[in-house]
Amino acid sequence: MKTKKIVSLILGSMLAVTSLAACSTGTPGDTTAATTGGDQPAVTDGGKEIVDFTMFAAMAGKEKNEGNEIKEIIAEKTGVRVNETWLTGQDAGEAIGSIIASGKLPDLIDGGDGSVTLYENGLLVAWDPYLEKYPNLKEMYTDQEWDQFRMEDGHIYWANVFGNSYQYNTATGHNGEAFWIQNRVLEWANYPKIETLDEYFKLLEDFAAANPELPDGTPVIPYTCLCEDWKYFCLENPPMFLDGYPNDGCVIVNIDAGMDKPQVVDYNTTETAKMYFKKMNEEYAKGALDPDFATQTYDEYIAKLSTGRVLGLCDQYWDFAYSIMGPFASPLEATDGTTFRLDELGCDYVPLGLVAKKGMDQQWHSYDDELNCSSGCAVTTSCKDPDLAFAFLSALLDQDIHDLRFWGIEGVDYLVDENGLYYRTEEMRENWKSDSYKAKHTCEYSYCPQWMGMSKDGINRMQPGEQPSEFIEGLAAPLRKTFEAYGAGTYAEFINSKIVVNAPWYPLWSWSNSISSDTPGGIAWKKMGETKHLWLPTVVMSSDFEGDWANYMAAYAECNPQDFLNEAQAEVDTRLATAQSYGWTPT
Amino acid sequence: MAQIEEVSFERIKHKKKMATEDLIFYIFNTLFLLLFALVTLYPILNTLAYSFNEGNDAVRGGIHLLPRKWSLRSYHEILFERPGIRVGAKITVLRTILGTLTSLAANALLSFILSRKKFLFKSSLSLFWIITMYASGGMIPVLILFRYLHLTSSFWVYIIPGMVSAFNVMVMRTYMQGIPDSLEEAAQLEGAGYMRVFVSIITPLCKPVYATIALFVAVYHWNSWFDAMLYNRFDPQYTTLQYELMKLLDSVSATTGASSSSAAQMTQANANTITPITVRAAATIATMAPIVALYPFLQRYFVTGLTIGGVKE
Amino acid sequence: MENSITKSKNIKEVDINKPKFTVKEFKRQWILVAISAVYVVYGIIFYYLPLAGWIMAFQHFVYAKGITGSKWVGLDKFKFLFNDKTFLMVIRNTFAMGVLNLFFSTIVAIAFAILLNEVRTRWFKKSIQTISYLPHFLSWIIVVAIVHDALTSTGIINEILMKVGILKQPYAFLGDPKLFWGIVTFSNLWKETGWNAIIYLAAITSIDPCLYESASIDGAGRFQKMLYVTLPGLRPTIMILLLMNMGNVLNAGFELQYLLGNGLVQNVSRTIDIYILDWALDARNLDYSLGTAAGIFKTVVSMTFILGSNYIAKKRGDERLF
Repeated sequence: MKTKKIVSLILGSMLAVTSLAACSTGTPGDTTAATTGGDQPAVTDGGKEIVDFTMFAAMAGKEKNEGNEIKEIIAEKTGVRVNETWLTGQDAGEAIGSIIASGKLPDLIDGGDGSVTLYENGLLVAWDPYLEKYPNLKEMYTDQEWDQFRMEDGHIYWANVFGNSYQYNTATGHNGEAFWIQNRVLEWANYPKIETLDEYFKLLEDFAAANPELPDGTPVIPYTCLCEDWKYFCLENPPMFLDGYPNDGCVIVNIDAGMDKPQVVDYNTTETAKMYFKKMNEEYAKGALDPDFATQTYDEYIAKLSTGRVLGLCDQYWDFAYSIMGPFASPLEATDGTTFRLDELGCDYVPLGLVAKKGMDQQWHSYDDELNCSSGCAVTTSCKDPDLAFAFLSALLDQDIHDLRFWGIEGVDYLVDENGLYYRTEEMRENWKSDSYKAKHTCEYSYCPQWMGMSKDGINRMQPGEQPSEFIEGLAAPLRKTFEAYGAGTYAEFINSKIVVNAPWYPLWSWSNSISSDTPGGIAWKKMGETKHLWLPTVVMSSDFEGDWANYMAAYAECNPQDFLNEAQAEVDTRLATAQSYGWTPT
Repeated sequence: MAQIEEVSFERIKHKKKMATEDLIFYIFNTLFLLLFALVTLYPILNTLAYSFNEGNDAVRGGIHLLPRKWSLRSYHEILFERPGIRVGAKITVLRTILGTLTSLAANALLSFILSRKKFLFKSSLSLFWIITMYASGGMIPVLILFRYLHLTSSFWVYIIPGMVSAFNVMVMRTYMQGIPDSLEEAAQLEGAGYMRVFVSIITPLCKPVYATIALFVAVYHWNSWFDAMLYNRFDPQYTTLQYELMKLLDSVSATTGASSSSAAQMTQANANTITPITVRAAATIATMAPIVALYPFLQRYFVTGLTIGGVKE
Repeated sequence: MENSITKSKNIKEVDINKPKFTVKEFKRQWILVAISAVYVVYGIIFYYLPLAGWIMAFQHFVYAKGITGSKWVGLDKFKFLFNDKTFLMVIRNTFAMGVLNLFFSTIVAIAFAILLNEVRTRWFKKSIQTISYLPHFLSWIIVVAIVHDALTSTGIINEILMKVGILKQPYAFLGDPKLFWGIVTFSNLWKETGWNAIIYLAAITSIDPCLYESASIDGAGRFQKMLYVTLPGLRPTIMILLLMNMGNVLNAGFELQYLLGNGLVQNVSRTIDIYILDWALDARNLDYSLGTAAGIFKTVVSMTFILGSNYIAKKRGDERLF
């Protein structure tokens, strides 16, 4: 019975529609009647009619409680209340496929990776007329940027709501990849400048030799590396960064011949790649690299980091940092009976932008907004009143409502000083970290249009996380000290990447992430991934590095990587040409 | 006289041998089963320990039989924090009861037909059902079909489509075939029709297999969530317990939307929180508990002493 | 003992005799036919109608165009699968794990049921049985976490082996392709033995107690009774489950292998279902046609196994499915 269920689940997910023609033209009455069951206007205490909309985001997320306080306030102001549903146990493509087939759509949707499917089935309402009507929405992007959202039929169907800064990018964090190191290690060595892999691993080893255990007796692990499933990028892509290139994700784009003559280069076969993996191989042999690195699951990885044992790692911030904050802030008992906290001990990680050769520039951190046009917030054809939906999305960008969403209620969730600067007390900050408080009180509408960057009042930031004072307040003492020692105010300043304007083709991963396996390049890309999954840990663990590296290179060549590189080059050229048609010139 | 004594002496010797053999067997069997129970009990105790542990502490791993830092937060979160849980529990109980009863009846009747030796279409009808076990149309075609049958956005989608399961039918059929024909023949001689035979002769004798299948079906219904999501995604009134728990688990796992993923959360999170690992454990225990509580009522049908049960010819 | 054998032989012979189709017989069992007809209608609606989706395997199916508008590609999708070395490899893996699982889970569950049946103390018997089926309710995530925990370099298995001196340094069990199938089989046994044994326990209850009594009178010992009374009594159930599970050999699963696997063992860990997830169900790049083609392949293999083994069972006069 169990197997049966799995069979049908699997088969199910891949078998599709007998007649989607019927589905896409649809019977609108049928679908809307059902979805908008809650659409009957309800009269609130204020006497104003409030319309309930449903929204589905093809992402995991947290549901709000019924009667959420800020949600009700926003409903009073805008006349709309949105009930969000999130992805559960399916991936975006499957979820969108099954929602379409079931014929029952929500009013608002962020289809994630399934967005194009929604468009192809004609289930989305074009933004174009409403952009003219609602300047708040129009203001989100420049005309050139909006044009990038246009589908083949010339219309805009969604807008990406993330990482879009008002005025300018004010990010305090470094959400991307880096070689991270516990700040106590840096403090122990008196805050040296670490630039290369050799320096980095030497420091880790020295520290581990001098401090083999945590106060609670847990032995330290100098370095670990996640290589589970698609998160093997932690092991796989440092060669790209080490050579000083930004995170294009799939290739290096060499601009030695000029910005208008970009040349795609495979970072898997460079000298730097071999150097990096040889270094990893040596560290593994020495025991500095976690012996379980190749087989650990994500949960085991997080568990390891949470104990404070791991001195260094390479990963993207979002992939590990949020999960370990709680454990780092909880009191632990040391072997001598005293209590201590890992963050107070200096176990918080700071990012290092390592390079292949001393003195090189690096681009681990990207300062500009990255525009991802492949998905975003959309209104469906099932929505009874699209105009109201767009009016609502527009209203969400009004500064007062935007503040409600991200700062909360004045006096309750934040205070304002004499200069008009918003700030929070310790208690307020704690509240905003509590899941149950957020479920009943806060309402971010996190997949609806929103701003990062400067607030329209010119004083504050759109979101509290970017408010410099709030950011510094939130750091543990040793971490603050380390930031000061290096003269950095934010993570971004700490990693100190070269400040460059994003190239017109950047980031290329927005292409490689959605490459189809219908083309030779797409097939090559998949095969390359499979090969690297097997061979990268193998060469690192090998007792004959040179021999296994040659075997790896042979297996890699069999995947026809050139097919992929050719398509990547074509994509770079296309993006460049598009930018040039808008008047872009190399600076 | 002497002869008789000799025989009985032989017998006693034989019996003695048997007894020691039995004794050794019992000791080893008991030890073996105890060991087996210990090995299978470990994951349960481990899950139990995690479910009562504080979330952030549990992330660090290394918990075995007892919690390190006690906390009831995970259970509190599961049982009281989510509004959908109560509706979900109601629907789940309803579908488990109704689903088990209808499914049991439907499967038993089909099994009865297929186990009749003289039934003309026995072979072809069996094959017809066997095929359904291995050939599936898949999720999307099924969804579209259900939509046209008006089964989506309704409670009945939980009951009607899964009512007959070929696997269960085959298990029941096998059991029924083991019942001696003489009983049926005798009843038929007295003028009983097929339905009479089914209700008054076969059914009472099939209690063990009915209990087994009822357990299978009930557990299936109790644990179901995928159908709730697929067919009633935007109909919270038909949500199920497991679907609510899955949603809870996924939302605990989700690092809140990429939007707010900057310094707001870079600050230290507060203590005594819930984490996926403890919520998963608590959800597992919480859903397991009712089944374990009801289990003895079914168990008595298929775990019996050697001399109880069975069919006398 | 003798009794039971002759008895089961009798049943077989009757079983082979197909009922003759006569109007009289049809009239006699009209109620059975009528009810079956209802079941057939039900089966056609809920199981056979959706099979129309199989058409997609012969198309390059594009969601928006539907079945009517998508391009026909004949057997291209099947050709892609069978020209892909990886697909042939995942068939091997799936088959191997499926067979190992079928073999061991059947034997161990039967052995467990029989041994449990020998226990005289009821409370002990009931407790053991209750405990044994509980792991069935744990998700694979939980079970795999425990298996993983035991097998890491600092896990209990390495610790024990090093203490008794079998190993000098920790062994990377999870990274060794030779051990993977064994670990999968063991995990399956651990989680499902108690649950699988329930059917056999129920079947044991139907064995006529007289058979045990007469066996005792004949001087049969405990083991002999197990071998010559209990096991033959279970035979029909064993046969039916074996036949049905034969068709599931290619459904060796994906969750367990996916969670336990890693890059180092990917050449033995990936199953057909994982392959489908990778190649056909990629969120950004749904290839329903390829997935459907792989699904059809699995169904064809399953049905071949079922028909073949059923035929053999029929020849041998054993219990069969149809």
